[in-house]
Amino acid sequence: VTSVIAHQLKTPLAGLKSALEVLLAGQLGAVPPAQEEYLRIALEETERMIAQVRDLLDAAHIDERKFVLSPTPVDFAAVVRQAMAAVEPFARAKNTTLSLTVEPNLPTLSLDGPKLQQAVSNVIDNAIRYNRGRGRVALSLRRVGRRVVFACRDSGIGIGRAEAKHLFTKFYRAPAAVTIVPSGSGLGLYIARAIVEQSGGRLWFESVPGQGTTFYLALPVQ
Amino acid sequence: MADAPQWKILVVEDDKFLSRLYSDQLRRDGFDVIVASSGDEGLGRARREHPDLVLLDIILPDKNGFDVLSALKLDEGTTRTPVVILTNLGRDADVQTGLKLGAAGYLIKTDISITRLGEEVRRHLVTARSAGGGER
Repeated sequence: VTSVIAHQLKTPLAGLKSALEVLLAGQLGAVPPAQEEYLRIALEETERMIAQVRDLLDAAHIDERKFVLSPTPVDFAAVVRQAMAAVEPFARAKNTTLSLTVEPNLPTLSLDGPKLQQAVSNVIDNAIRYNRGRGRVALSLRRVGRRVVFACRDSGIGIGRAEAKHLFTKFYRAPAAVTIVPSGSGLGLYIARAIVEQSGGRLWFESVPGQGTTFYLALPVQ
Repeated sequence: MADAPQWKILVVEDDKFLSRLYSDQLRRDGFDVIVASSGDEGLGRARREHPDLVLLDIILPDKNGFDVLSALKLDEGTTRTPVVILTNLGRDADVQTGLKLGAAGYLIKTDISITRLGEEVRRHLVTARSAGGGER
């Protein structure tokens, strides 16, 4: 039912987004600055809704066991760089500095590149979202035995013990997170963990409340 | 844009608002546009009016887009007409089905920017022409 409703929402959302883009591009006439601001906000809100519907569909497909991965040889570092590029505008808007350290000569992995990028993006997005003003998010990639481990360390609010056990639960949002960002879907980490586990890997975190959190995403070397 | 007005695009889309948005955009971009709101109507118009490219939705009344695409590729009169799928079905399996059936491209409605639709269509037309398809 969820996937049917989510899918049906995409048609009107596509119409809304397209109409707002046409108006903002001035294709139907010049737009006065006061109207332009409202239209821009409406477009951003529409895009946010589209992202949430996409998450909802992914979560429904995971639950219905229809979330299929197509593994190919993948350069994990390239995937992380693409994920970084995708979240870079958001980091800039939140005054957060991203950095990446990659250990040389990492092996190629057999994974679904786009889905892995989605998981990595969700983890980085989460770190930026719940960071403090002018925060830092340090990313690293290294080999540990038979695994390649991606780490994402933030200088954010941290995760308390009571919240920790629910963090990967669908729709769960920590009380402190709701205070900072009222509108999250509570699906990003749920989807990320499903992708990682379906890829034969593991996603977990370590946190010191008030100091920050590090998420680890470990994937097997074949 | 110089030779754009000669291209005829068939938009097969059952949602009235989206159909109007895509058609208006392509006309503003200099294309000649015809529309169909069901799979059968789309197939009929493609066979009768020989568009240079078909923009094809998948979930349609009476005949879905994959069936329309298969029929177009089996028909000698339309087999070389590039078909670009424009849908909200974004699962890998759907994309693979579309490309295996011979779609020239696969676009997701909520992901594309409509102001770039004309550019995308023109790119497929140029590719098809250089490959020897869709001759005029």
